[in-house]
Amino acid sequence: MSVLNGLFGYAFLVPLLMVLSFVIVGLGGTRMKRLEWGGWVAVAFSGAAMVVGVLIGAGEMMSPGSWTNVQYTWFTLPGAGPFPNGFTLVVGTLVDPISALMLIVVTVVGFLVMLYSIEYMHHDRGLPRYYSELSLFLAAMNGLVISNNLLEFFLFWELVGLCSYFLIGFYYEKPSASSAAKEAFLVTRVGDVMFLLGIFILFSTYATAGPLGSGGWAANGFVFANGSQPFLAGATANSTTLTVAGIMILGGAAGKSAQFPLHVWLPDAMEGPTTVSALIHAATMVAAGVYLLAVTSVFIGFTSFVSLVIVGIGGFTAFFAATMAVVHPDIKRVIAYSTVSQLGYMVLAVGAGFTMVGLYHLFTHAFFKALLFLAAGSVIHAIGTQDLFKMGGLRRAMPLTATAFAVGGLALSGIPPFAGFWSKDDILASVYSQLGAHPAYWPFFLLAFAAVFLTAYYIFRAWFLAFSGEKTRDPTLPHPHEGPWVMQVPLIVLSAFAVGAGLFVFWPNFQGLLFHGYGVGGIPPTYGTTDLLLSAVSVGLAGSGIGVAWLLWGNGRVVDLPSTSAAQPVRRLLLNRYYFKVTYDWIGAKGVYTVARAADFFDQYVIDGTVHGFERGFAWTSDRLRRIQSGVVSDYAAYVVAGLLALFVLLLVVAPYVVAHFGGT
Amino acid sequence: MTALPIVGFLALSAALVAVGLFGILTRRNFILLLIAIEIAMSAAILNFVYFAAFEGGPVAVMGQSIAIVVIGFAATEVAVGLGIVLALNRVRRSINVAEANELKL
Amino acid sequence: MSVEELAFLALAGVALVTGVAALLVRELVHTILWIALFFIDLAAIYFLLSAPFLGVLQLGVYAGAVTVLLLFGVMVTRKRIFSREAATGLGAVPLALAVVTFIFVVATVGEFPQGQLPVRSVDPSALSEALFGTYGPWLLLLGLVMLSAVSGAIYLVREGRE
Repeated sequence: MSVLNGLFGYAFLVPLLMVLSFVIVGLGGTRMKRLEWGGWVAVAFSGAAMVVGVLIGAGEMMSPGSWTNVQYTWFTLPGAGPFPNGFTLVVGTLVDPISALMLIVVTVVGFLVMLYSIEYMHHDRGLPRYYSELSLFLAAMNGLVISNNLLEFFLFWELVGLCSYFLIGFYYEKPSASSAAKEAFLVTRVGDVMFLLGIFILFSTYATAGPLGSGGWAANGFVFANGSQPFLAGATANSTTLTVAGIMILGGAAGKSAQFPLHVWLPDAMEGPTTVSALIHAATMVAAGVYLLAVTSVFIGFTSFVSLVIVGIGGFTAFFAATMAVVHPDIKRVIAYSTVSQLGYMVLAVGAGFTMVGLYHLFTHAFFKALLFLAAGSVIHAIGTQDLFKMGGLRRAMPLTATAFAVGGLALSGIPPFAGFWSKDDILASVYSQLGAHPAYWPFFLLAFAAVFLTAYYIFRAWFLAFSGEKTRDPTLPHPHEGPWVMQVPLIVLSAFAVGAGLFVFWPNFQGLLFHGYGVGGIPPTYGTTDLLLSAVSVGLAGSGIGVAWLLWGNGRVVDLPSTSAAQPVRRLLLNRYYFKVTYDWIGAKGVYTVARAADFFDQYVIDGTVHGFERGFAWTSDRLRRIQSGVVSDYAAYVVAGLLALFVLLLVVAPYVVAHFGGT
Repeated sequence: MTALPIVGFLALSAALVAVGLFGILTRRNFILLLIAIEIAMSAAILNFVYFAAFEGGPVAVMGQSIAIVVIGFAATEVAVGLGIVLALNRVRRSINVAEANELKL
Repeated sequence: MSVEELAFLALAGVALVTGVAALLVRELVHTILWIALFFIDLAAIYFLLSAPFLGVLQLGVYAGAVTVLLLFGVMVTRKRIFSREAATGLGAVPLALAVVTFIFVVATVGEFPQGQLPVRSVDPSALSEALFGTYGPWLLLLGLVMLSAVSGAIYLVREGRE
């Protein structure tokens, strides 16, 4: 409808609303005691943003494939050096199918989490700070998804990382929290540097950072694909540049999306409030990495080498993270590893060329992962612990939460008809269809496939440990009960999405969001015989995973591995996350710290030394010179005479000599 | 008409200038300063007289006239200098030049 | 060597001795005496150089007025100064400077005609004509300067000034 289309030019309103929320709550939150210290203000703004976001998404659905680019020229530089025609930097918004999809995800989940926070954070201190930081995060994330060029994208990317730092370190008095925040920031920094380098490479080669659409790259004569969006002329053109740039951008995405080897920060990020984990580390910020890869695949393209690397990292991470979730006793960290693993699936899909399938999984995953986190948050809020081995029997006292968690778990495991089944299976089927052309994908496909079993196992292990059985294992815990409506409503809404979101894909209008011209298809999922077979196998795996979990942990059973079992070292390895963090710490401490000390030494003694040397030199000289002014007239007279004599010498001796030897007048 | 070597006279006035200069630069007593200045000025006046004597004619007259005028100036300067000595003495209770090394009294 | 030359040498020597002595003796009153001798010696030199008018003038102004002035100065400030202050030892740098100056001036001596030169006397009437005629303005100027100097000196030493 043209009315909705008219909204596309106002896409900037979404982040702008959240910026307003940030400012208002940030400045005035301490005076809003009755408004839950700014909480309801933030909820109102995020609700308004959600309305706008959903309307834009609806508009995009109505006119599928439409593509609105609003941009303003920031500045233009004349041609020089490597840019003979000069270049232009722009800012602007781009509303196209994938950004509209992301907009829906971010605004809806954002609103629900904000609402949930009202109760969840009710007893915490520093709430204005929380709500304003969360608002700023939403502003940045929304801005990111509607950016129309890579530089603007990067700006919001950094801002998102900054807000993540703030929010992870919300309980800053806890040393573990502030160090987790630093870890998150530093690890993603490594990725960010690579990303920036990738942008520079692209920029210096193509003299533009965007817009992620017409104008820039198209003007350089690139091939248009599928009739509407430009696409860099294949992997064959200038493939080294593209390869390097692609790897760099992958680095950035891997940092933000916690893929191997930059995955270490996400489990520790659970130090932040659960709502933060739900929003940032499940649905949105970590999805930004996948979004970046999607955008890159559409507008820039991956060379075959880069594709392989992406597939490799995605598949490997999917399995690798799942193994660590299998033994962890902390409910939030189990879900965190699950996030890393599922992101691996998305990355795998995008790497294989199925951009839209990956984004489809991102869409469904956002909902059921947020659901899982919020359900876990409900438990934590009720009984105050995150240790699974202290919980038990909660389904009686908290039936809604138990159901919500189960729904989320089923969706995650990929049991039909829950949402995760459709999207995850689509990924597996799509990658499978590529195995003929790219036999190198086989191991990663198998890893991803195996992870299905592990996924179902670990999430239901968590469910059984927490909710099944008769009573809590730790008798000192307070009596659990459900939270108030502000916590229950988001759980209900998200559960509905977790059930139904998968079926959206069969709605033609929704398909408009997902595919027009992007990627090589896969939407809507087709179900030929191979696909059905694959689905059957994966459902079977998931089912058996749930079964094993029930055997080990159901009905309040706790299975302890005997201490002499051969599995113990494996368990330790997994619990210690394959000693990654320890290694990184060691590298940081020895390597980086040594360099830092050397730099400090240099700075203090050489640079500062030079400056102080000047200072002392000046002081010494002026002290000496000062003594000329003794005040004693005789001294002055002596100076005068000396000067006069010098003058005589000059005039009577030096001058004739100079004239005689060098001529002149 | 006597004949005398001018070189010696010039050496004499050069020496007297040096003596006077030495006195100016080293003596701390104000009155001694004045005396030293007088010695040096006398050397200059001597020079004029030499040239007057050895040139003769209109130059001689000019030289002696100049000598007369300069003697007058020198005497004046001594008078003023002594006035300064007395004023300084009244304020500072001493006429040590080295003590008067600040601009304010 | 003629009588005049001898006389000149003697007079020059006395001038130097008295000059240096005046600066170096400890008692301030003694320096006054030495300086008086110096001035008288200079007057003698002027007579030798056929400038009798100047010689008399020197005797009257310098050996008379200036010496007395200096003596008055010494007497008025006497009770407040210590003899120690009269002389402050020899600094190396001023001595060096003085010597260098001497060398410099003497170095230019080479440009003057060597050997004996006749001494010409000046006719007193011609002198007075020139002094009050051609150089009259200079005399007037001198008078004005003296006037202002006297006023200044009186101002400096008037009572009530602290």
